[in-house]
Amino acid sequence: MAGAKTHDYHILPPDIWPLVMSFSALTFTTGMVFYMNSTPATAEQPGTYTFWPLIVGLGIAGLIASFFSWFSNIVAEAQAGDHTPVVQLHLRYAMILFIASEVMFFVGWFWAWFDFALFPSTLTEVVDGIWPPKAIEAVMNPFDLPLLNTLILLCSGTTVTWAHHSLINGDREGLKKGLWLTIILGVVFSAVQAYEYAHAPFDFGGNTYSSAFYMATGFHGFHVIVGTIFLIVCLARTYKGHFTPRQHFGFEAAAWYWHFVDVVWLFLFVVVYVWGGWGAEFH
Amino acid sequence: MATTADTLQAHGEAHHDHHDADHKPGFFARWFMSTNHKDIGTLYLIFAIIAGIVGGAISGLMRLELAEPGLQWLGSMVEFMGGEGTFDEQGHMWNVLITAHGLIMVFFMVMPAMIGGFGNWFVPLMIGAPDMAFPRMNNISFWLTVAGFLSLIFSAFVPGGTGMGAGTGWTVYAPLSTTGSVGPAVDFGIFALHLAGAASIMGAINFITTIFNMRAPGMTLHKMPLFVWSVLVTAFLLLLALPVLAAAITMLLTDRNFQTTFFNASGGGDPVLYQHLFWFFGHPEVYIMILPGFGMISQIVATFSRKPVFGYLGMAYAMVAIGVVGFIVWAHHMYTVGLDVNTKMYFTAATMVIAVPTGVKIFSWIATMWGGSISFKSPMVWALGFIFLFTVGGVTGVVLANGGIDDNLHDSYYVVAHFHYVLSLGAVTAIFAGWYYWFPKMFGRWHSEFLAHLHFWVFFIGVNVIFFPMHFLGMQGMPRRYPDFTPAYAYWNEIASWGYVIMGASMVIFFVNVFYGLFAGRKAEGNYWGEGATTLEWSLSSPPPFHQFETLPVIEEHHTADDHISGKPATA
Amino acid sequence: ANPQSLEGVPNPIEMTAEENAADPTISAVEAAEGTTGETVTTDAASGYTPLGPDMIKGQPVSAEDDLLGSMTFQPQFTDIGDDALFMHDIILMPIITFISLFVLGLLLWVIVKYRRKANPVPSKTSHNTLIEVIWTIVPVLILVVIAVPSISLLAKQYKSPPEDALTIKVTGYQWYWGYTYPDNGDFEVISNMMDEGEALAKNLPPQLAVDNRMVVPVGEPLRLQISGADVIHSFAIPSLWFKMDAVPGRLNEKTLTIKEPGIYYGQCMELCGARHGYMPIAIEAVPRAQFEAWVRGQPGGTVGEAAEDAAPITETELPGLQQPESAVEDAPGAGLPPTEDTSPTT
Ligand code: HEA
Ligand code: HEA
Ligand code: CUA
Ligand SMILES: [Cu+2]
Repeated sequence: MAGAKTHDYHILPPDIWPLVMSFSALTFTTGMVFYMNSTPATAEQPGTYTFWPLIVGLGIAGLIASFFSWFSNIVAEAQAGDHTPVVQLHLRYAMILFIASEVMFFVGWFWAWFDFALFPSTLTEVVDGIWPPKAIEAVMNPFDLPLLNTLILLCSGTTVTWAHHSLINGDREGLKKGLWLTIILGVVFSAVQAYEYAHAPFDFGGNTYSSAFYMATGFHGFHVIVGTIFLIVCLARTYKGHFTPRQHFGFEAAAWYWHFVDVVWLFLFVVVYVWGGWGAEFH
Repeated sequence: MATTADTLQAHGEAHHDHHDADHKPGFFARWFMSTNHKDIGTLYLIFAIIAGIVGGAISGLMRLELAEPGLQWLGSMVEFMGGEGTFDEQGHMWNVLITAHGLIMVFFMVMPAMIGGFGNWFVPLMIGAPDMAFPRMNNISFWLTVAGFLSLIFSAFVPGGTGMGAGTGWTVYAPLSTTGSVGPAVDFGIFALHLAGAASIMGAINFITTIFNMRAPGMTLHKMPLFVWSVLVTAFLLLLALPVLAAAITMLLTDRNFQTTFFNASGGGDPVLYQHLFWFFGHPEVYIMILPGFGMISQIVATFSRKPVFGYLGMAYAMVAIGVVGFIVWAHHMYTVGLDVNTKMYFTAATMVIAVPTGVKIFSWIATMWGGSISFKSPMVWALGFIFLFTVGGVTGVVLANGGIDDNLHDSYYVVAHFHYVLSLGAVTAIFAGWYYWFPKMFGRWHSEFLAHLHFWVFFIGVNVIFFPMHFLGMQGMPRRYPDFTPAYAYWNEIASWGYVIMGASMVIFFVNVFYGLFAGRKAEGNYWGEGATTLEWSLSSPPPFHQFETLPVIEEHHTADDHISGKPATA
Repeated sequence: ANPQSLEGVPNPIEMTAEENAADPTISAVEAAEGTTGETVTTDAASGYTPLGPDMIKGQPVSAEDDLLGSMTFQPQFTDIGDDALFMHDIILMPIITFISLFVLGLLLWVIVKYRRKANPVPSKTSHNTLIEVIWTIVPVLILVVIAVPSISLLAKQYKSPPEDALTIKVTGYQWYWGYTYPDNGDFEVISNMMDEGEALAKNLPPQLAVDNRMVVPVGEPLRLQISGADVIHSFAIPSLWFKMDAVPGRLNEKTLTIKEPGIYYGQCMELCGARHGYMPIAIEAVPRAQFEAWVRGQPGGTVGEAAEDAAPITETELPGLQQPESAVEDAPGAGLPPTEDTSPTT
């Protein structure tokens, strides 16, 4: 913009997407409030809000449009050479900090899990002072599908590293293969997880175990899906010829994120599936 | 020797003269699509002032109701909001008022003013950067804050249990906020926190990245102005504390709507877990609200004493210490939930530790003034007021820190007195100090110094009359979050309410001064405070050019932490 | 009744009483309340005489009566209260007053001494290791002086009651209190706020007076087991230095030994919904014989042998989750009964 700029920072022109995205988010949350207050559980309350699908839909559409345009712009700017080394450094910092905040988010869910597991309530028969709670007749065998999923994610960690090495070495085919494999593994993971949810011996909610179990693993699953989409974007960009052996932060960010998701899973596996279900019947 | 200052000044002004007008985007693009840290800072300040008016007006309604025992005004308020005015609706209305007041003041007044407003404006200027690292993300932080505020406002108009609105207190304790509040109001409140929280996390990432990567050549961390240090520490607290709140309120949401039982005893859940999660965020949050204030006070005290900050490194690391220790004291808000005795002992001891680094700050400010040549311009008067009032609020915090004493004082007006001394008399006083310090810098015109001083004195008297008697009420056992009280508490409550009238008058002076300054104020030069003002923002014109530092300033070897522009040799 | 004719009741009450009477909800409630009996009547047969207003010991002091008294803690009637009051009045209060005045003094000193007129040329000192060490160490020492007695105060507060201590279960409901006496036949006393007009007429403090007090024996350790039925409440009596949250799903236990016979008022101190401000607590401490007489007067109340087999409540009895079966509908302070959602699903 300004003619006299003699530094490497990225000064941006005005942009509409932050505004659109914010109000899409507000639309989405507002629709969600209406949705949640018109479910059967709360139907007898004053005011049921049957028009929620419209609002939620509008919000989601706005969010998708904003994400898509915003990230497209970033990619375009990267391609245009706006991402000088210092700007790339910014992106690195931001990604690390973002992941740090995500870690703290999961700390909250693990905190709940440990609280319930270490101090099971004695005041309700649903739990009856034992862990897993009395209401949980059987848990998933951690060394069955969860172990498989652990292996899948560990593999995907290596395939994404393979892709990275290929990229650094200028091996585009290796990059594509590595990414494809990682994405497939990610999708398989999600599918296994969905299968597992569908066949789980306990329902959602109603007691501490299934609340904390589904919310913790569910948020992890959500992160897997986000990470998979991130990788798919990278794959698409690869086909478009983006990324060079020296500059490919978009790919690296996706890989970092993927590793983070992987590590969270390892904790979930150890804490929730193995330790958290210890001594219980297997399903 | 041509100093950095001169060059920069010349550059800034030339730039200002020639390119200014063509640079600025049109109205809509400039204010709704902004990617300029100064414009976004201004937006945040305007937003904070609006939220301050709303939150302050709500506290006026509260003081009106509490002026006398009995329920006088709540009935009309309920009717105004479309209710019938039943007894329960009135009680609920009270809870809605305090909830809205607390949340608005904390999330939509203090935080946007200090971090969003002053942080955005002055962090880039002080480190010699042309803008923030992520200008677009900066803008979404602002608009998400607005979205959060709107969500909170929506909540007032939908059912929340015994009446309209969310009546859970700003702490949103379960199970009152889950099974205890039927209807969409609390859901709107929770999403308000999600939105504002997301905004703050992105803001934190932006500030940390900016401060780590965009300092002017030569400005090492140990040469960074203390205000920047304070925002850096604050940003870390935000980054690490807010996600835990996000998890906690998400649990509230699923408990309310999707049959989870995190906090529902019938499914084995534990309401106390919510309190742990909330205060793990909540205690760092109180330092989030005060640390940027500390930073501003350091700049101001040094400027008007014409001395470098005393014990610069100690000052910086005291803030780091406050931030770190702030994460391990949370359960001092939960002394009466039935913690076991060892836990209470630990939290008693850990909490008191924070008084040490805070003391370092208080004494270093005084030592900065010691031997100085102090001029009592309005920001300095506000800063002096801050130091005293914050100390008073801080030492009552130390009283509360004693688990055995807090058994009596918890959830009484003593706590209300404590936190208003550190917030309404601490944080807000710091905000006004910063406001008068930088007003001419930001808007290019002078406020009236006379009105600024008058504002201070009337405000100082008013808030003390409001809040000092609350210590008495608390020790006498008056519980907080009560719309009504037994007649024995009438005397001090009435005095507190009169204090609000005085404080209100001071706010009128404030607004007159704002309008006077904006429309009739004398033009301000670049470094209008003169010799004592040595950070980089003073090397620019007032207001600074739309894009500053297009050639980065250089901090030379001989510049000290307290002196980035005058180029005088380093001292002792 | 003309409230002004009552002793020590300030003017504003007049409005309160009238306004409340004008409120249809309240007057309906008042009418219902007339039929539910009150404790403040003499039960000659049992030998229990409820304490009258002259025995009120724990209540806030009005500034009109005692200005200084209204600015500090209520007088204390437990050993813990005495210790804590000592800790506050002799240790904390002087220290914080001194620190505040010291900071104020330093500020005034620099303001006078180093104002531009008095000191036109600023010094450039920005370091002095000695002074920095001093202002780090001295606060540490002060805090140690505070922490040591503070920790031992905590230890004292947590002494558990003797095995045979009288157990009373306190349950917070929206919006009233229930007191169950498992050692005496497990009857439950439901305690609602007394209507303000009635309280004034009886010379009791409005918003603190209740219809049925929690009667306890004086001078002996009591084991209070506290829980919440719906949301969190807090059982707090300032003059006994006692506060414990009533959390659903938890059974909090705390000892209480009241030193003198008397009436001690407290209020719910955790936000619990619309009538958080209207669920006061009144403890009536009477000599053992009187207490037993009171127990016998309660439906299902037993003393001695008959009571012996009643053990303190164990956690498996789900005390935190019981229904308010004896709740008086429509009594003042008693709002909607807890909804389905808050009751146990077992
Ligand atoms: C800006 C916000 C802010 C700040 C800075 C503080 C600072 C402190 N707070 Fe406060 N606090 C709140 C905001 C804040 N607080 C809020 C909002 C609540 C209520 C929340 C709610 O329930 O709604 C609360 C509640 C609260 C409680 C819980 C009370 C209760 O609910 O029962 C406690 C208990 O320990 C406490 C302690 C402290 C302490 C020890 C400090 C210390 O950091 C203070 C340190 C400062 C000094 C001590 C003064 C300067 C020092 C010296 C001059 C050196 C010499 C001093 C000594 C040797 C003592 N605070
Ligand atoms: C920053 C926080 C903050 C601030 C400033 C205030 C300011 C005030 N507060 Fe509040 N208060 C809280 C935070 C705050 N409060 C919280 C967290 C609670 C607990 C809620 C709960 O229980 O859940 C509470 C509760 C609370 C109660 C107890 C209610 C109860 O327990 O029943 C009372 C009672 O009098 C009260 C009164 C007041 C009054 C009269 C002011 C006056 O000082 C208000 C006057 C207004 C101002 C001083 C602000 C003006 C500022 C601007 C206009 C913006 C300027 C901006 C720029 C220059 C950029 N507040
Ligand atoms: Cu019960 Cu507050
Ligand atoms: Cu705290």
